[in-house]
Amino acid sequence: MTYEEFADARLGALLRYAVMLTGDPHQAQDLVQETMVRVQLNWRRVARTDAPERYVRRMLTNQFIDWRRGSWARRVLLRGEADQSVPAPTDHAQSAVDRDQIRSWLSRLPRRQRAALVLRYYEDLPDGEIAEILGCAVGTVRSSISRALATLRAELVEVC
Amino acid sequence: MIEDELRAAFARIEESTPPVGPLRVAVDRAVISRRRRRRRVRLAGTALAVAAVALVGFTAMAPRPPAPTAAPALPTPVPEAAGALNLLLVGVDQSAGSRRADSVLLVHLPADRSRLYLVSLPRDLLVPSQGGTEKLNATFSRAAGSGTDLAAGYRTTREAVARLTGVRVDAGAVLTYPGARELTDAVGGVPVCLPAPVRSVHTERRFPAGCQRLNGAAAVDLLRQRYGLRDGGLDRDRNAARYAAGLLRQLREQGTVTDPAQLGRLLLRVGPAVTADTGDLSLPALVAASGRAAAAEPVGLSFPVDFDDWTGRGFEPDPTLAPGFLDALRADRLAQWAAAHPDRVTALR
Repeated sequence: MTYEEFADARLGALLRYAVMLTGDPHQAQDLVQETMVRVQLNWRRVARTDAPERYVRRMLTNQFIDWRRGSWARRVLLRGEADQSVPAPTDHAQSAVDRDQIRSWLSRLPRRQRAALVLRYYEDLPDGEIAEILGCAVGTVRSSISRALATLRAELVEVC
Repeated sequence: MIEDELRAAFARIEESTPPVGPLRVAVDRAVISRRRRRRRVRLAGTALAVAAVALVGFTAMAPRPPAPTAAPALPTPVPEAAGALNLLLVGVDQSAGSRRADSVLLVHLPADRSRLYLVSLPRDLLVPSQGGTEKLNATFSRAAGSGTDLAAGYRTTREAVARLTGVRVDAGAVLTYPGARELTDAVGGVPVCLPAPVRSVHTERRFPAGCQRLNGAAAVDLLRQRYGLRDGGLDRDRNAARYAAGLLRQLREQGTVTDPAQLGRLLLRVGPAVTADTGDLSLPALVAASGRAAAAEPVGLSFPVDFDDWTGRGFEPDPTLAPGFLDALRADRLAQWAAAHPDRVTALR
């Protein structure tokens, strides 16, 4: 597989995944760009792995979890005007409030927990694969998901 | 159910996914500029590696020249140092008030002495220091008194390299511009072939295109020229490589690299301009070891850094390659590592 074939097939899915992780289209673009630049520069190494997509997803997840240590967080702060290609939300007031609430709960979770939630409830991956992407044990994945759910449940009760 | 809420939330967030097209273009554009930067770093590494070949003779330099009373030819065979050796070569620019280690090179001599491995350590490599990290080239100037005492700067850089790599640095040397001048004169001038004429901005000197033999002052003048060259600093690195290649050719033709007596005379002459540290090794043992390994074509390697993650502060070690590389260095298996990573080997010719 060439880099071009990989990007044609998987870039959209990776971008959606990054949007789930960050909750923000701009940060998602930066996260995916940073990851894909590294993927392209090191394509031979990536292509040699058993499952390139999982390898890239793991790169992207690590980049997200480490984002304060890396360089791309700075680039987000230094970014110029907002991207005009993304329309502002046009939903009615109540759904916008709901969305903001759930987003802000999610954004307050530790990044690793958030990534685990995205991988299970958005990507619908089995726990074994989640563990591989996060680079931890299956038990750790389960416990961090249940901790994250407990946090969200507590928030939900508080608000409703 | 909280799980259903979550799925619904993710579905709503998904709507805000931006289009893929512009991102694809941005990635390709960023790759081009990163490749350019990567090539720049590689080229500097090449120049450094070639320079090191020429400097290998230097490594054997004693801080104290051999006592004049010693017998000129030792009848007993010199006990050669056993096992793999690691030598550290540091090139410093002292023209500015504070000195920085701008060329740092680890020379690995395998136990079988089959060849030399020249491991260039990028000067912008981040190394651990007290409570944080600093660039490798800053370790030299951090030492108190390094402005006048090369040995003090060498010691802190040596410690940083030992910490970074986990290998013992058995010996090493520091070279300055005056050192390069002395060396050039001591070997009777160095042949340098230039593809285009160079005009010095520091002196009235003009270097014509083609091959010429340079004396020490001219060689250092050439090595300093950066402005007015087509590729600026890049061309300076290339000229350094050309100079180093010529110096090595000169040393080889004279047989200096492999002849301890000749090397000893060279050392006596150049000695004061260079600071060297032979560690626990005797000078003859070191000369014998490095001379044997220097007879074969050396292998240039660069310490694997993460070119793609330039933070503005310096380079981090490559998280995937560096551990394996360091294991190979410590276990004296660089030959296997170089064979497995042909794209990481620097071409020296």
